[in-house]
Amino acid sequence: MAFCCVTSACIQGLQVEMIRVEADISNGLPMLHMVGYLSSEVKEAADRVRTALRNVDVKLPPKKIMVNLAPATLRKKGASYDLPIAVSILAVLGMIPPGRLENLLIVGELSLDGSVKKVPGILPVVWQARKAGLRACIVPEGNGPEGALAEGIPVIGVSHIRQLLAYLNGEIELCPFSGEGAGNVQTAEKNTDFSEVRGQQAVKRAAEVAAAGGHNLLLVGPPGSGKSMIARRIPTILPPPAWEESLEMTSVYSVLGLVDERRPLITERPFREVHHTVTKAALIGGGRTPSPGEISLAHGGVLFLDELTEFQKPVLEVLRQPLEEHTVCIARTHGTYRFPANFMLVAAMNPCPCGNYPDLGKCSCTPGQIRQYLGKISQPFLDRIDLCVEAPKAAYEDLRLSREGTPPKEETSREIRDRVCRARRIQESRYLGTGIRANAQLDSKSLEQYCALDREGEKLMQKAFQALDLTARTYHKILKTARTIADLEESDRILARHLKEAVGYRTMDKKYWGR
Amino acid sequence: MENKKNPGSPSVGEEDMFYEYWLASLKPLSARKKRMLRDAYGSARAVYYIEETRLDQEIYLTDRDRRVLQTGRDSRNQEEFLRGLKESWEKLQESGIRLILYDDPAYPSRLSRIPDPPYAIYVRGELPPENQPAVAIVGARKCTPYGEEMALEYAETLAGAGVAVISGMARGIDGAGHRGALNAGGKTYGVLGCGVDVCYPREHIGLYMDILKNGGLIAERAPGEPPLPAYFPERNRIISGLSDVILIMEAKEKSGSLITADQALEQGKDVYALPGPADSALSQGCHRLIRQGAGILLSPEDLLEELGIDRIHLLKKSDRNKKMLESPEHMVYSCLGLFPKSTGTIIEETGFSPQKVMEALVSLVLEGYAREVSKNHYVRAGKSSGEKA
Repeated sequence: MAFCCVTSACIQGLQVEMIRVEADISNGLPMLHMVGYLSSEVKEAADRVRTALRNVDVKLPPKKIMVNLAPATLRKKGASYDLPIAVSILAVLGMIPPGRLENLLIVGELSLDGSVKKVPGILPVVWQARKAGLRACIVPEGNGPEGALAEGIPVIGVSHIRQLLAYLNGEIELCPFSGEGAGNVQTAEKNTDFSEVRGQQAVKRAAEVAAAGGHNLLLVGPPGSGKSMIARRIPTILPPPAWEESLEMTSVYSVLGLVDERRPLITERPFREVHHTVTKAALIGGGRTPSPGEISLAHGGVLFLDELTEFQKPVLEVLRQPLEEHTVCIARTHGTYRFPANFMLVAAMNPCPCGNYPDLGKCSCTPGQIRQYLGKISQPFLDRIDLCVEAPKAAYEDLRLSREGTPPKEETSREIRDRVCRARRIQESRYLGTGIRANAQLDSKSLEQYCALDREGEKLMQKAFQALDLTARTYHKILKTARTIADLEESDRILARHLKEAVGYRTMDKKYWGR
Repeated sequence: MENKKNPGSPSVGEEDMFYEYWLASLKPLSARKKRMLRDAYGSARAVYYIEETRLDQEIYLTDRDRRVLQTGRDSRNQEEFLRGLKESWEKLQESGIRLILYDDPAYPSRLSRIPDPPYAIYVRGELPPENQPAVAIVGARKCTPYGEEMALEYAETLAGAGVAVISGMARGIDGAGHRGALNAGGKTYGVLGCGVDVCYPREHIGLYMDILKNGGLIAERAPGEPPLPAYFPERNRIISGLSDVILIMEAKEKSGSLITADQALEQGKDVYALPGPADSALSQGCHRLIRQGAGILLSPEDLLEELGIDRIHLLKKSDRNKKMLESPEHMVYSCLGLFPKSTGTIIEETGFSPQKVMEALVSLVLEGYAREVSKNHYVRAGKSSGEKA
C-alpha cells in the first residue's frame, strides 16, 4: 500500500479543526519527510516516531516516506500528532488494515519507548469528533476519563503503541471509557465556607445580592478587612453549574492542559485571582494562535482583581468588552478567536493610598493623593460594576472566640447558596427565551419591561435622583440591583425597601470620590 | 462684576497707574522696602526713573533688589517693556481686577493696622465693609465631617447676623465656611494664596463664582500667579488682618491654621478654637490653642453674644429632630454622629439585618438626616442637609 490516511484534530483557540494525516511511501532516498505548516514541535515528531517505532521492533524500509498534515493552511502545534503520524506510517507499511482506520480519530504524544502520553484539549476534540459523526476516538489512556465526558462516542484509551497496534489488528479488544463515572463525581469537600467570615454582615449581604443577580462587585476597605477572604468564598454561594456549563468550563481548562486526570469534569465554579502585574495577553488570552486567558479560566466563576488601583490602566480597559458581551474576541491576521468569558467580576481596593480613609486620625493622605488614587480607575470601568460596598476593618469582637471556645454562629455558604439558587430560578423562568441569564444582563430597554416601579417606588427614585445627583447609568444599575433584591425576597414587584437597599450599594460616581 | 475706576492715590495720575502696577508686582522686593521707596520718591513713576547712582544711595536695598529694580529699564528695550506693562495693566482693568495700594483710601483699615501690611492688594468683587464686623473661619483642609458641619453652622449663623465671613477658599473647613455664609445669604470674602484670577483648588470654581457674586476675592500676589506653598503663610496674615476675630474649627497639632492663629495674636486679634473629641487628631491643635488661652467656641449664638452682635437677624433654627422618624430609622439615626460610621458598625450596634440598616440609612440620606461621606460611611446631617461644601 503506497498511501494511507488517518484522522486527527487540531485546536485553534477553543475551536477544533479536523486534520488528515496522510502518509505515502515511494522509492527514493530513504527519509521521513513531513510537510503541512508545522511548528517545530510537530517537525520533531518525525524523530520521536522513528525512534518509537524502532523500539517496538518496526523497521522502516529504506524508502522515502512522505507525511502530510492537511489542510496545509492551518498551523499545527503541539505533540498530539505523534500517534496519528505513527499509525499512518504503520498503515502505509501494511501493518494495519486500512478499513480499521476509517472514521477513527487518533490523538496522542509518543514517548521514545513507544508509550502514549497525555495531551491537552481532549474534551473539545472528542466533542468535535462526535459532531463530525466519527466512529470512535483513540486517546492517551490518561485522557480517557476527560474524553468520555463528551458522551455519545466511544473513547478508547491506549497506553502504548504496541497495544494500539494489537487493537487495530483485532488481536485484542479495548473497552471504551464510560462517561458516567466522571459525570457523577461528587463535589469535592469544599475547604472554604462563608461561615469562616466573622462579622462583615454588610459585605456578606452585598456578596449575596451580587451572586444572586450575577452582578459585578467592588469591595472598598482598609488592608486586612477581609476583602480577599470574602471574594474567595463567593464561588461557594453561586448556584452549582449545570452540566453544559461544566463542560464549557472544562473545555477551557482542557485546552490549557489543566484538568485533573481522575476527576476531569469541573463541577466547582472557578475562582481566579489575578495579580496586578498581569499583562493584557495573560488576562484576556493571547499568543500567535491565541490560547484562553484568565478571564476565560474564570468563565462561570469569579474573577478577582485585588488592589484594583494597582493594575495598569490599559489592562483594566481591555476587560470592558468581555464584561459587556460575556465572551472575548481576539483577532489575528489568520482569523478571529472567541473564548467564553461569562464571569462575575469581584474587585477590591483600598479607599486611599494608605488605606485608612475616612479615619482621618490615621489617614495621612492629602485630598489630592486620594483623588489621584481613585482616578486610576476609569469611569467606563466603574460603570460596569453594579454593586459597591465598604468592608470596614474587622472588629475584635468578631475575631475573638467566645468563652466556650466555639465561634459565634455564622451563616454557612450552603444556607446562602439556597437563597441565591431560588433567586436565580426566578430569574431563569422570567427571562425564559430572551437570552438573558441573570438580572445583571438587563439593558435599558429590558429594564423598562422587567423593573417597573409602583408609584411609591417612583417617588422614591425621583427623590434619590435629585438628592444624590444620580446619573442615568447609576439609576439603571440601582434598578437592576433592586430587581435582584426583590428576587431574593421572592417578591414579584420591586418595593421601596428594595430600592432603598439598592441605592446603598450603588457605585459612587467618581467625582464624589474623596472630597 | 465691579468695574470701578481706580481712584488711585492722590499724587498719582491715572495714566501713571501702570507704574504702580509695575512696582506692586515686583516679586522679590518686600512690601516694606517698596513702601520706603515710594514714600521717598512720591510715586512709582518716580521710582521707575530713579537714577542708578541714587539707587545706590538707598542703603536698605540689597544688590539683588537693585537688580530687580533695573529690570526692563535697559535702554535698548525700555519702550517695549513699558508698552508690555501698559498692555497688561489695561487688560487687568478690563477684567475688573482692582489694584489697591497701601495709601489708597479704599485700602482696608483693618489691614493697614497689622505689623506687615501688604504693599498692595488685588481685589475682584468687593472688599469687606469697614463698618461691619468680620470673622475669619479657618481650619484643616482635610477635615472631619464634624468640623465641616460646624464650620457651616458657624458661618451660617454669623453671616445671617450680618457678619462678613472671611476665609482662604481652601478645601475642607475654608470651603465650608464660605459655603455656610453663602447659604445664609450673607457676604463672604476669600483671600487667595495665588493670583486673584486663579481658582485654587480647581474644584472650587463654583464656590469662586459664588463668592464673587456675594462678596469678593482678595490676593496680595499679582494676577496669574500660581499657588506656591510659600505664598500661603503670607496669605494667612491677610485673612487674620482683614478680620476682627479668628475661629479655628479644626487643626492638627502641626497645621497651617495654627500659623494663622499665631499671626492673629501678633496682630492683636481674638482667637477662638472649636473643641472636639479628645482623641481626634484633628482637634489637637484647637485644644492646644484653648490651653494657651484662646477663646472656646460653645455655640454660634454664644459667640455672637460675646461679639456683642445683635441677634435680630438670626433665623430660628428649625428643629428637625422633633419630626417623627419611623422606629428602625430612629434607631439608626441615634447611632449616627458627626464622625463617620460604617454600615458594618451600625449593623452591630443596632442588631438589625444588613438589609434593614441599608434601607434605613438610605431613607435618612434621602430625607436629609444623614449624609454619606465616603462609600458606606455615614454621618448625621445638620440643618442644611444636601449642601456640600
